[in-house]
Amino acid sequence: MCDSSKRLVAWMDRELPDNEAADVERHVRDCSECRGRVDAYEQVSRAFVACCAAATEEKTRRRLQRWVPLLSSAAAVAAVLLLVFQSTTVKPIPVRPRVADAAPAVVLETAPRPVKKVHRRHGIAPMKTPNANWASFEPPVQIAIPVEAMFPPGAVPEGITFIADLSMAADESVQGLRLQ
Amino acid sequence: MSGDSLPLPLPLSGFATDSCEATTLYRELRKPLLRYLIGLGLSADEAQDMVQDAFLSLHRHLASGGSQENIRSWLFRVAHNGARNRQQSYDRRFGKPLDPDIESIADKATPEQVVLEKEKLRRLGKAILLLTESERECLLLRAGGLRYREIGEVLGIPTSTVGDTVDRAIKKLAEKFNV
Repeated sequence: MCDSSKRLVAWMDRELPDNEAADVERHVRDCSECRGRVDAYEQVSRAFVACCAAATEEKTRRRLQRWVPLLSSAAAVAAVLLLVFQSTTVKPIPVRPRVADAAPAVVLETAPRPVKKVHRRHGIAPMKTPNANWASFEPPVQIAIPVEAMFPPGAVPEGITFIADLSMAADESVQGLRLQ
Repeated sequence: MSGDSLPLPLPLSGFATDSCEATTLYRELRKPLLRYLIGLGLSADEAQDMVQDAFLSLHRHLASGGSQENIRSWLFRVAHNGARNRQQSYDRRFGKPLDPDIESIADKATPEQVVLEKEKLRRLGKAILLLTESERECLLLRAGGLRYREIGEVLGIPTSTVGDTVDRAIKKLAEKFNV
């Protein structure tokens, strides 16, 4: 075996100093045995890289395959739940008998925080009466007014919340006010 | 899923250095890092996590004024150490390079991936299993495009030792591969 064979891989990898690289290059040009070795080393190097790439792709593919059935199942369950939910939860809200006329109600809430309690003079009407008077089924309007805006500071103890039920007629005139 | 098309992980977007350089670095080194870690025996998930951790560490390193020289070997070293720490923490078996079922990989490899005969690839897979840990690491890093000096920095060994190890490993594989 040639002495140069010890430096062939380093020469292929361009890791030799210039003067040594030139020597090896000259030698390889003249020595068929070393040329064959260089071919073999290059081939095995390429195959090693291909092997690494194939292993990475295979493992990544397996990883994706592991998730596909899980995600498909989750999507199927979600679709079934959506169907069940839609067919069972859309129920008409019962309409409270109305004492006053068909005017829409307005609820004034004096609490500083978002509305917690919903008062409806009129419930939301079921959709089964297309010819009904839409004005009479108009949902109540809720307006939240901070307590500080209605009472002087300190007038209302902390934690106390006022809810005002304000009934309005169709012409927007106030028909009644009830504080809770 | 093409890794190159993935958006940059959040840590990189805040690089103090040139963000184009960081983007290039991520695109250039993400796959080689993944291949190296999978070659060490990590699963795809573990390798993915480790690569993200390595880039996060790089961000911290640069943000704290760390050296910007030899970033490639720096990243590989962080990934290498992370993989080895995981080995110690979880008592993982790292003795099997690439994959224990390398032969099935050879079967599934597409012609685009491997232009060589599958029989040769199978022989190569078996030959890789016979390499020492150091030889495998050197070849994996070399396959990732690192120079001998960089491989030495990653593994903490002299450059001359890297040259000898790579030479020995390639000759071993060639013997089995080209029979």
